Amino acid sequence: MVLLFSPFFLGVITRVKAFFGGRVGPSVFQPYFDLAKLFQKKCVYSHTTTWIFRAAPIVVFASVLAVSLMIPFGAFKAPVRFSGDIFLVAYLFGLARFFMIVAALDTGSSFEGMGASREAFFSCLSELTIFMNFVTLVLVAHQISLSGMIGAEIPLSWKLMGPTLLLVVSSFFIVILAENCRIPVDDPSTHLELTMIHEVMILDHSGVDLAYMLYGAAAKLFLFGGILVPILLPIHTGHGLMDTLIFVVGMLGIAIFIGLVESGMARLRLNRVTNLLLIAFALAFFGFIVRLWRG
Amino acid sequence: MTTWIDTSCILVVFLALSILATYRITGMIHIFVVQSFVLSFVPFFLHADALTGRDVMLVLATLVLKAIVAPYILFWAIRHMSMRSEVKPFIGFGTSIICGTFLIAGAFWVASSLKLPGKLISDLVIPCSLSTVLLGFMIIVTRTKAITQVLGYLVMENGIFLFALSLFDAMPTLIEMGILLDIFVAVFIMAIVVNHINEEFEHAPASLRRTKMGETL
Repeated sequence: MVLLFSPFFLGVITRVKAFFGGRVGPSVFQPYFDLAKLFQKKCVYSHTTTWIFRAAPIVVFASVLAVSLMIPFGAFKAPVRFSGDIFLVAYLFGLARFFMIVAALDTGSSFEGMGASREAFFSCLSELTIFMNFVTLVLVAHQISLSGMIGAEIPLSWKLMGPTLLLVVSSFFIVILAENCRIPVDDPSTHLELTMIHEVMILDHSGVDLAYMLYGAAAKLFLFGGILVPILLPIHTGHGLMDTLIFVVGMLGIAIFIGLVESGMARLRLNRVTNLLLIAFALAFFGFIVRLWRG
Repeated sequence: MTTWIDTSCILVVFLALSILATYRITGMIHIFVVQSFVLSFVPFFLHADALTGRDVMLVLATLVLKAIVAPYILFWAIRHMSMRSEVKPFIGFGTSIICGTFLIAGAFWVASSLKLPGKLISDLVIPCSLSTVLLGFMIIVTRTKAITQVLGYLVMENGIFLFALSLFDAMPTLIEMGILLDIFVAVFIMAIVVNHINEEFEHAPASLRRTKMGETL
């Protein structure tokens, strides 16, 4: 499901941005074509790189896929679910990011080192926010597994914990933008040295490796959306097809909303990104306080 | 209706927090307008089942005074002084946000041991109003320009207004009106004061002080 739909999600965002830019834009299936093209190419490796550089794309892709096993999609239950899997989810994302950073440093390029440093700094802040949100959600749902957390309890919680969930959702949305290098934080469409965080780190990857990296990034965006949608649209009809349809509509809604945000906002200056992430943290912390207050 | 009150309360606190994180004075005023706008509809939600003329009057008066007149005077003052729009804080924006978060936590802690007469519709009103008051204080204390301090004062007043709303039934309308008038007068006077200061100095930073020889600030 993740493999099938994540490039489509990316395509929808691009299309929405194009629409608001007054253009027609590429087809929503364009990311598939790009990936297909890249998978047919050979890789080029620099002499300075070691095995770390070659292993990184596989590790990134594999860890994102592993995370996808723990997130429920509509009527599809998460194949792997156990108490405490939220930590595994967070740290698998961490592992992917670590290998991406290490691979960027491995190339010895000063550009990529810069990107790696930025990525490491911003992800420190966003990880804090993610955990704060997870803690709040755990307290709301009284379950420590991701499926339980964003599962059946949420519709009931909206009545009592509406404000908390509202704060969690808005904080998590900022995290989505930051973690996936969308516009207020990073510009995914340029390789300009001032803007780049994620894009610069994958400059030296080529061919199949680049395809894995891009696929991993698309899947990560999809997974974050997959965590947010069940919180936003807590409707369980009990009918499998209907639930999946609601989920897909929710995902499309998020894609369109991200596209809207990207069209409406300019990228923030690098030193202001910290403040954005701190605001996300403040929102998460506020949600946590409200949850404790309501007891 | 409780959901709406909760949402408005949280929005008010969040907007106060985002005023702390804003770089431009015009941006701060815009956020203040939104905050006042949200705040002015709280009486509607409080008395949604039995709306009286008093509620409607209060909403209208708040809306006009807080969301239209006060910002207008502030914008007028900025234009008149042709001042630069940067906010110059004593402490950094990141630190401000973190301190603001702790202030919110503190406000909730204080509110938990506060016993008030009368029954409240939403238990979030009191802690949120306390948080807004504290955040307003924070803006006054940490921002250097006179106009940003006026803004901090207005945010604080918004918090007090929210607090008074929670005791709406226990208190006469007179107090409500008093608060509204209070703000109006404050903004008016401060605009004049800021203006006068500006005629003497280029800008009006409250931290401006001449240093003696050999003294470091």
